[in-house]
Amino acid sequence: MNLKQASIFQAFVVTLKRDLLIAYKRKNDIVNPFMFFLITSSLFPIGISPDPSRLGEIAAGVLWISALLASLLAMDNLYRADFEDGSLEQLLVSPHPLYFLVLAKNIGHWLVSGLPVVLISPLIAYMINLPQESYSVLFFTLLIGTPILSLVGSIGVALTVGLGSRGLILAMISLPMSVPVLIAGTLAIQETANGAPLAGYLAIMGAMLLGSITLAPLASALALRISVN
Amino acid sequence: MWLWFAKLGSPKWFYDVSDRWLPWLAGAMALFMIVGVIWALLFLPPDYQQGLTTRILVIHVAVAGTSLAFFPLMAVAGTITLVWKMKLADMVAKNAAALGAWFSFVTLATGSIWGSVMWGTWWEWTDARLVSMLFQFFLLLSVVALRSAIEDTDKAAKACALLSIVGCINVVIIKYSVEWWNVLHQPASPLSMSSDNANGPEFWMATGVMIIAVYLFFIVSLILTTRNEILQREKRSQWVQDIVRAA
Repeated sequence: MNLKQASIFQAFVVTLKRDLLIAYKRKNDIVNPFMFFLITSSLFPIGISPDPSRLGEIAAGVLWISALLASLLAMDNLYRADFEDGSLEQLLVSPHPLYFLVLAKNIGHWLVSGLPVVLISPLIAYMINLPQESYSVLFFTLLIGTPILSLVGSIGVALTVGLGSRGLILAMISLPMSVPVLIAGTLAIQETANGAPLAGYLAIMGAMLLGSITLAPLASALALRISVN
Repeated sequence: MWLWFAKLGSPKWFYDVSDRWLPWLAGAMALFMIVGVIWALLFLPPDYQQGLTTRILVIHVAVAGTSLAFFPLMAVAGTITLVWKMKLADMVAKNAAALGAWFSFVTLATGSIWGSVMWGTWWEWTDARLVSMLFQFFLLLSVVALRSAIEDTDKAAKACALLSIVGCINVVIIKYSVEWWNVLHQPASPLSMSSDNANGPEFWMATGVMIIAVYLFFIVSLILTTRNEILQREKRSQWVQDIVRAA
């Protein structure tokens, strides 16, 4: 046996590449969250009021909650296909620290399901009349905030991966946990519209992101080990 | 020291010891509960500002204080389950989640009743304590839901242990972020949130009695439900069958 042991970094890159390749082959994973985000946000004007000034007031919250729900629904794909075809077990028995493999899967998943939502958000912001000065704030808070949602949501997905009816339970676990991110994101948009500087809010969200990058994959890894025997 | 620790983890040991303690704890609970409730609801003098509604607060404060103990308790029990795989810790944690959700609900309900009189509203988003209690309630319910969704007892124990630890950290983060949100988001609230500080010493004595009563109630219910859980999970073991036959 002279198989060369791959380094942690190589394992990380291979896992990430594999997930991106699968997503590229099954383009639904990219399009669906994106469509969901578009449809949900376009329901708010119908449900609340078509009046532009009223829509402008709630636009930040509408965009954030739609992004949060899109992220939640997309999360289910994160480990399920791998669980069903057995490749998740291969990840668990690999000699590399599960933390990095889970992190790679999370990043890959965010790139295909979270990033498109962030990129399309200015267009929807325009449709629901978000005040002009808030566009960049919305974009940057979503850019930092949606990876946090993915990382934290990943814990709930990992805990429920083997269950038959997991949709509602996943929502019950993940939605309350996303409150701090939701608060930071919408507050940043509203307060910068009142003239507060953006940097402080981005710093707080950046701290949340770093915290969840450090801790959440550890919990996800443990949760996967519990769910998959 | 380790022998003591191992003994503590044995369901049979817990069952025997709790059998001896239960009458004392239940008696003390009944005493404090009767004194506290009668004092609070019938004899506490009306507050010069809040009138008789302050009597609701005695119970509300006691239940609210106790409901904060659940997540730390579950997180500690969860850590013991994950690290030492002690079965007893999970038997305690299983019932703590549902009990905690119930305590949180009673806190919200009594607070709403008091608020409907004093604040003129049943619900107030500007009060950080209401909002964070609501999310603690939701998170406790999610632990209950996860438990009931997983059939395998051992797997459910570990999954709920992990969720309890994550949830405990989250409750703290949610609490601070909601406070931060309230400070920045809303203009200063017209409602005085520290109004309960205006109460006299008698209010606090009654509250003290009530807090002890509710804590004892919490401990007694936890012991009772845990004993029930022990009997169910250990139903194949000899000592449980002996008990059942003797009964």
